[in-house]
Amino acid sequence: MTDKHRLWLMFPTKLITRPIIWELGKIFEVITNIRQCSVNEEIGLVSLELEGDRDEVKRSIAWLEEQGVKVEPVEINTIEG
Amino acid sequence: MDKSNRPFFSNLKCRECGKLYEKKAIHVCEYDFGPLEAAYDYDAIRTSISRAAIESRPQTMWRYRELLPIDGEPTVGAQVGFTPLVKADRLAAKLGIKSLYIKNDTVNYPTLSFKDRVVSVALSRACELGFKVVACASTGNLANSVAANAAAAGLKSYVLIPADLEQGKVLGSLVYGTNVIGIHGPYDQVNRLCSEIAGKYGWGFVNVNLRPYYAEGSKTMGFEICEQLGWRIPRHTVAPMASGSLLTKIHKAYNEFVKVGIVEETKFSVHGAQATGCAPIAHAMQRGTDIVKPVPKPDTIAKSLAIGTPADGYYAIHAMRQTGGGAEDVTDDEIVDGIKLLAEHAGIFAETAGGVTVACAKKLIASGKIPRDEEAVLCITGHGLKTQEAIAGKCGELRLIKPSLREFEEQIYNPDMAATAAKS
Repeated sequence: MTDKHRLWLMFPTKLITRPIIWELGKIFEVITNIRQCSVNEEIGLVSLELEGDRDEVKRSIAWLEEQGVKVEPVEINTIEG
Repeated sequence: MDKSNRPFFSNLKCRECGKLYEKKAIHVCEYDFGPLEAAYDYDAIRTSISRAAIESRPQTMWRYRELLPIDGEPTVGAQVGFTPLVKADRLAAKLGIKSLYIKNDTVNYPTLSFKDRVVSVALSRACELGFKVVACASTGNLANSVAANAAAAGLKSYVLIPADLEQGKVLGSLVYGTNVIGIHGPYDQVNRLCSEIAGKYGWGFVNVNLRPYYAEGSKTMGFEICEQLGWRIPRHTVAPMASGSLLTKIHKAYNEFVKVGIVEETKFSVHGAQATGCAPIAHAMQRGTDIVKPVPKPDTIAKSLAIGTPADGYYAIHAMRQTGGGAEDVTDDEIVDGIKLLAEHAGIFAETAGGVTVACAKKLIASGKIPRDEEAVLCITGHGLKTQEAIAGKCGELRLIKPSLREFEEQIYNPDMAATAAKS
C-alpha cells in the first residue's frame, strides 16, 4: 500500500551538513520531495513529502529519528492543552 | 454576506506564499506545506460592521461574526464568550503599574477556558462543511471543550489523549459521552497518528484539518478587549504561549479592527508568557532569533502550555517584534506565586497558564519592558479548578478549633490584640 506523508524535519546543529535526505533515498525505496527549507548555523528545517510503501515509509521515518532528526507531521502540534 | 451578497469570509490563504484556496477542510498549502488561515473581504466588512451594529447584538463572541470564518449563523456554542474585562487596581498596585485589566476567560462558557471560543468556531464550521464526527487530540482544556460543545450540538466526538493522563482530566471529557481514546507511546508518534487519522477518516479534527477555522476563534478575545475598553486597543497585552496561536490572533484582531474602521490605529505591544520548563518561543525571542528550537521533554506544572514544538512560534515572534513586545518565562514556583497573586489581589482563581501570564507580566513590568506609567491587559485563559493539584499544600493551611468562643479568641481572633495591632 502506497502512502504519502507530509513531514516537518528538524536537523540539530551536528547534522546540518550531512546529506541525510540523499542518504534516505539511497537506503529506502521512497520518493523524497522537498517543499520548503530553512537552514542556519544552528538548525535545519525541512518540509518534506515522503511517498512509498507504507512499511517502507515507517522504516525510513524510524531511520531518520535514529540519526537524530526530529520528525513531526506538518501540522506539528496536533496535541493541544 | 454584505448587501450585495459578497461573502465576508472569502478564502483560505497560505501564510507563507499567499496562495488562495477554497474554504474547505484543508489546512496546509499544497505547494510549500505552509499553514492556511482565513482571509476576509475587508472592504465588504467595512461597509457592514459598525460599533452600533455590534452593540445591538447579544453579548457573546459571535457579535463579531463578520470577522469569523463561517458562512451562515453559528450553530455551535452560540453563548460562548464576552467574558468580563476586570479592572484590577489592587493587582496593579502590587505589580507597580498604573493600570491593569484581567481578561477573565476562567468563566468562559461552557467549560471554563478560552478553548470554548476556538472550538465553537471549529464546530460551527464543521457543521457547515457537513461533518458528522469531530475529534481532537488534547491533554486537557481542548478535550473538555470539544466533548461538551459536540454533545450540545449532537455531533459524535472522539477525544485522543496520551495514555498516562490524570484521571480527573479524563472524567472531564467522559462525562459528556464522548469517546475518549488513550494512546500509548512517545509524543512524536502520538502526534503523527493523530495527523494520519485526521487525513484518513474524513473526521473534522478541530486542530488539524479544521485548524484555519479553529484558530480564528481566538481573535474574539482581542475584539472583546477593545470593545470593553471603550473601543480602543490597549497599550500592552500579555498572552500565554503554547503553540503561540492565541498571541498571533490577538495581534490579528487588533489589526483587523483598525482595518475595518472599528477602532483608531494606536500604538500597541503584544507580549508572550511561557513556563521555563517549556519556553521555546520565549527563549528564541530572548536569543534574538526567529528560529524556534524544539524542547524534547517539556517539564513544567503548566501542562496546558507544554508544547515543545510550537506551530505558530515563528509567527508569534514576529508579532511580538513588530509591536515592540517582549517575552518572559517563569519557573514552577513563580507560576504558583502568580496564581496566588491573581487570586489574592483580584479574586480570580486561574489555572497554571494564568499563573504563567501574571508572573511573566510581573517580570515585564519590573524590567521596564512594560513601563510602570502605562496600562496592560493580561489574558487569563482557564479556571483554577482544572489544575488544583498544582497549588495543593502551597496556599496556607486549614486551622481547626473546637466549637468554643474562648478557643476562637485564643487561637484565631482576639479583638483586643487586633485593636493593638491596628494602632501600631
